[in-house]
Amino acid sequence: MIEPFTVPFMGRALAEIVLLAVICGPVGVLVLVRKLSFVSDALTHTVFPGVVVGFLAGGLDGIFLGALVAALLTAVVLTLLTRRGALSDDASTAVVLTAMFSVGVVLVSRRSSYTSDLTSFLFGRLLTVTMQQIAETAALAALILAVLAAGARAMLLRAFDPAAATAAGYRVFWLDLWLNVIVALVVVAAVRAVGTILVVALLIVPAAAARLVSHRPMVMALTGTGLILLAGWTGLLASWYASVEHGIALASASGVVLLLVAGYLMLLVLSLVRVRSLARIRSLARVRS
Amino acid sequence: MSWWDDAVHRAVAEVVLAGALAGFVGVHIVVRRLSFFTMALTHATFPGVVIAALFGVDLLLGGMATGVLVVLGVAALTRRPGQNAAAATGVVLSAGFALGAGLVATQNSFSRDLSSYLVGSILTVTTRDLVITGGVLTAVVAILSLSARPLLYTGFDPAAATAAGVPAGAWTLLLLIIIEIAVVTLVPAVGTILAISLLVAPAAAARLWSTRLPVITLLAVLFAVASGLLGLYASTHLNIAAGASIALAATTILVLSAVLRPFFKERNS
Repeated sequence: MIEPFTVPFMGRALAEIVLLAVICGPVGVLVLVRKLSFVSDALTHTVFPGVVVGFLAGGLDGIFLGALVAALLTAVVLTLLTRRGALSDDASTAVVLTAMFSVGVVLVSRRSSYTSDLTSFLFGRLLTVTMQQIAETAALAALILAVLAAGARAMLLRAFDPAAATAAGYRVFWLDLWLNVIVALVVVAAVRAVGTILVVALLIVPAAAARLVSHRPMVMALTGTGLILLAGWTGLLASWYASVEHGIALASASGVVLLLVAGYLMLLVLSLVRVRSLARIRSLARVRS
Repeated sequence: MSWWDDAVHRAVAEVVLAGALAGFVGVHIVVRRLSFFTMALTHATFPGVVIAALFGVDLLLGGMATGVLVVLGVAALTRRPGQNAAAATGVVLSAGFALGAGLVATQNSFSRDLSSYLVGSILTVTTRDLVITGGVLTAVVAILSLSARPLLYTGFDPAAATAAGVPAGAWTLLLLIIIEIAVVTLVPAVGTILAISLLVAPAAAARLWSTRLPVITLLAVLFAVASGLLGLYASTHLNIAAGASIALAATTILVLSAVLRPFFKERNS
């Protein structure tokens, strides 16, 4: 079970997953309680033009900066649009998503062959993560955790009781912007290594699964991180054995996501069973008394 | 050689039909805030399309089958405590997308299809695609106009509708299935990104100009067809991907509406 990870590229892939697990667990909880699934999905798409412009301007090194600028821009635009309330936030998110993604597609489609660019944007390149990328992810992870720790209490209050948050002196607009920027940073940290598919899944699925186990934010965050670690480890192993021993090209990102969803479904079934048996015990107790 | 043999002419016809379909269905998506759900549908029909392509079954059939599964899945997950609709939709979206992408990755020669799935290839629509889009358009318009009243009622006040004896759940399910049919029809022809923007942006723009559903619907159809034609024109003249330029045209109409609307409001009132 350990042996494949002694190969350098597998070890680096695992290191990247571990870093993402540490940040996506807690951030996912806030995404769940603030119902930001669509915003996370939008951010993974809107960094695409940034990636393209960054690559055209500065080559491989420009990608990171381009993605960062595009993600922060989206976070600000989405927060502003939601605040004005002119459009429903749902529709405006969809429009920002499609518009920015289209800009990216227009830019790449001027080149003769762009299909491989799109594919690598979707899947990421988990197995070719470099030490430099891991260092960038680690730096962003530290930043995200610090910013998150500073604002988590206020953001949870805002999620459950916006009126109370306003009364307590918090500015709801800035809290929303703060959280959107955090999600944007997570997307930037992760998207180049693991692709859009995996980033969306990491932000949404673990927290939704953890919610089935507990309703306490801290427990949910830790459960989410644990689930990502487990799914990351098994997903990488599965894709290693599938390709090395059976010659099947199993995309590692897809493998990890499908394992996360499988974990979610298992917890769903467990919680159903638990609710049923609790109800039975209660009704039995009522009959006895 | 008839008029239909030219690829650009067929694309024009497809854009008009797809725009009309998107306008009619999009109004309901915007009014009921179902954009994210529609996004999830486009991603989740992906594995169905891939599986259908692998086994040589009809693509529409494959997409439709998985789409119905998704509608039922989201409906079932949303009923669990603590699982809000956004999270449930997100889970279904990730699962569908990962499954489809994973299946694509096992095939070596598939990445070309993957990008055409994303951004569409409107210049290669066949006459069969046109007939299907036209048929679906006719059917959807017929159903929507027959059931306009209960759909409106259940959309704006489900509790009152249920109290008055109108089954809100059943009507909502019918609407979700109509959206699913529209998505499955639009995606193979025009791509996921374009489908979403054609469904949402024109309807959102129309929503800014009026509060009456018939007017909104008419405007949405006009905006959608106009952005389709504009985008197609830009695409052939500037040599850029058609799907993306149509999406940008639709966005431009929305932005213009949002900017211009306040001026007209002052004059009217």
